[in-house]
Amino acid sequence: MTDLLHLNWGLLAPELTIVIIATVITVADLVMNDKGDRRVFGWISVIGIIIAIYFTVNQLNNPNGVEYLLNNTYRVDSFGSLFKLIFLVGTGLVFIMAINYIDKKEIKYDGEMYYLLLTALLGAMMMASSADLITLYIGLELLSISSYIMAGMKKNNLKSNEAAYKYVIIGGVSSAIFLYGASYIYGLTGTSNIIEMASRLPNAYHGDYKFYVYLGSFMMLVGLAYKISVVPNYMWAPDVYEGAPTPITAFLSVISKAAGFAIITRIFVTLFVPLVIAVDPKTNQQMTFFSHELALYLAVIAALTMIVGNTMALRQTNVKRLLALSSVAQAGYILVPLATLTVVSVNNIIFYLMAYLLMNIGVFTVVTIVNKDAGTEDIRSFAGLYHRSPLLGVAMTFFLMSLAGLPITAGFIGKFNIFVGALIEDAYWLAGVMLLTSVISYFYYFNIVRQMYMRPGHTEAPLRVAYSLQLVILLTFLGTVLIGLLPNVALDFIANNLNINDMFNLGITK
Amino acid sequence: MDQIYNNSYLFMAIFLLLGIFLPFATIWVIGPFLRPHNPTKEKISTYESGVEPTGDAMVQFNVRYYLFALLFVIFDVETVFLYPWAVAYDNLSSFALIEMVIFVFMLAVGLAYAWKKKVLTWD
Amino acid sequence: MVPLNAYLAVGAILFSIGIYGVLSKKNGIIVLLSVELMLNAVNINLVAFSKFGLYPNITGQIFTVFTITVAAAEAAVGLAILMALYRNKATINVNEIDIMKR
Repeated sequence: MTDLLHLNWGLLAPELTIVIIATVITVADLVMNDKGDRRVFGWISVIGIIIAIYFTVNQLNNPNGVEYLLNNTYRVDSFGSLFKLIFLVGTGLVFIMAINYIDKKEIKYDGEMYYLLLTALLGAMMMASSADLITLYIGLELLSISSYIMAGMKKNNLKSNEAAYKYVIIGGVSSAIFLYGASYIYGLTGTSNIIEMASRLPNAYHGDYKFYVYLGSFMMLVGLAYKISVVPNYMWAPDVYEGAPTPITAFLSVISKAAGFAIITRIFVTLFVPLVIAVDPKTNQQMTFFSHELALYLAVIAALTMIVGNTMALRQTNVKRLLALSSVAQAGYILVPLATLTVVSVNNIIFYLMAYLLMNIGVFTVVTIVNKDAGTEDIRSFAGLYHRSPLLGVAMTFFLMSLAGLPITAGFIGKFNIFVGALIEDAYWLAGVMLLTSVISYFYYFNIVRQMYMRPGHTEAPLRVAYSLQLVILLTFLGTVLIGLLPNVALDFIANNLNINDMFNLGITK
Repeated sequence: MDQIYNNSYLFMAIFLLLGIFLPFATIWVIGPFLRPHNPTKEKISTYESGVEPTGDAMVQFNVRYYLFALLFVIFDVETVFLYPWAVAYDNLSSFALIEMVIFVFMLAVGLAYAWKKKVLTWD
Repeated sequence: MVPLNAYLAVGAILFSIGIYGVLSKKNGIIVLLSVELMLNAVNINLVAFSKFGLYPNITGQIFTVFTITVAAAEAAVGLAILMALYRNKATINVNEIDIMKR
């Protein structure tokens, strides 16, 4: 064992930045008197996140490849760093939303919101760059527990309480199911490091323990399905998204979901792609556990999720509920590349998550502004938005187009890549379901557009938008449209910085 | 090896039987012959030197008890990490000390939080 | 010697009781307790595997320590949320926590 005093602290710089800011804000919140303006904490956090983004960008293209830390529990690799960038940018934008959203009457202790967001972000970052089940689990729970509290932040609002309670129960059950599956995989391999696990699993599988591998992998998948809200475990999403404060809803739908995809990709690709179950006698090709067992299961989950999410969204009248079900459907789309795994699948997942980050945070920012002005979350609060604030209306139209997957937006490119990837792998039925459900989704997305342009609003007064929210909308709008027009910039960025072999490398221990 | 195991199960069985038998014997068989029988009003009350219990056993507790319990559980469970650390201390590098200092510092922040939020005071 | 399967059976039974409790109990606190049962089933599995698994080692016990700690934190948060709910609604019957049912 190397002396841990010679730990390379620079590798942990993004996480340490977040930890330090969170601790400082917690203490500062305690010593500040009750009437102090706590929005300054939000801005300090934004600055901290920008510093962490700087450190993370520096870690991209590391000449050493993969680096291990803390006795092989924590790893810095290209996969993790790209996901961390998504989390950091997303949380930074959520912070600006939260600073404007918080109303002292509803959220009495508003300082708590800021450091809980930071600890949740820290959990997501741990999930993205760890190769040990214990560390992954701690990251998962750090994210989850912070999210439970944030969902119930409006202490006197019954909806918020109910959302938080449901979230706790579903979250607890799911993490227990995940751990139960993980305990079997641990029993077969005797280690919690997933790369060592991957090297020992074939022994167990070809010994007499096939059944336990199936049990463990399926239970882990069902348990993690709640984090990305796909079919066996999606019913919580509409309730929690409706009850939680809107910036937290944005956080849950973007960062929490992206973290779920990071952990699912990390665990299942690393563990089950190297697990060869048989060799095809005709073509002499290796059949892996992932491609011949899990892939079908993932494909069924993806198809059911797309169908259920899109059809249930049709009858919603509450905007946040509608967007919750839309995000369930989006998770279904993102599962498609995982179900039809090729060398570019992870690139497609990360690209779609980037596009999803921009469009979803944009949508939720507009929802925050409109709902706060109208005092209701009904879809009719969007009526006449174009006449009250033309720019906001146009931006919202583009975000919705991107979510629906129409051209000149980032969402279109992402969906197109996923669709082509499914066709290349001959998963025609999955591609068909994706196309069909996308068409269904136009109905509810364009219902909002119709409200904005064609329905008279209750007032014609111009809508005032705070400067910082204007900045968020501008950034997400430019991102959505520019990636839509010049997708190569983003695709090349991912391709240059992602080395998929990193996920299987033991790398250098630092 | 098996022999020893079987024997120790035999001991266990004997202890179990004795453990079940002895209380019965002392209370119902030997006890009545040895103890004086002199009931007074004070002696047959529930708490001989305490307050008379009133009302139902299923009452609502003050919620503050619960807050204390919550705080206790969290800090109690955190000591789980201190024990293995203390046992293995001699074999650990100085980094382990730094780690534990950070850990305890974080706990202290938590305690300060509870203190400032007036969880530790009764009113 | 007690075989590994016995431990796994206890774990599985405990896990099933936990799931049954979560799905069927009306009292919100009992539901939280059932979640804890499920996590304890995991702990039994992990400890059994760390002694009798294919590669017996101590990692399973370390995992258990972390699971217990996190479970305590989760229970604390769950109970606190239930308390906030009780203050507003004056009930912890999960059948009545349904204002968002569509």
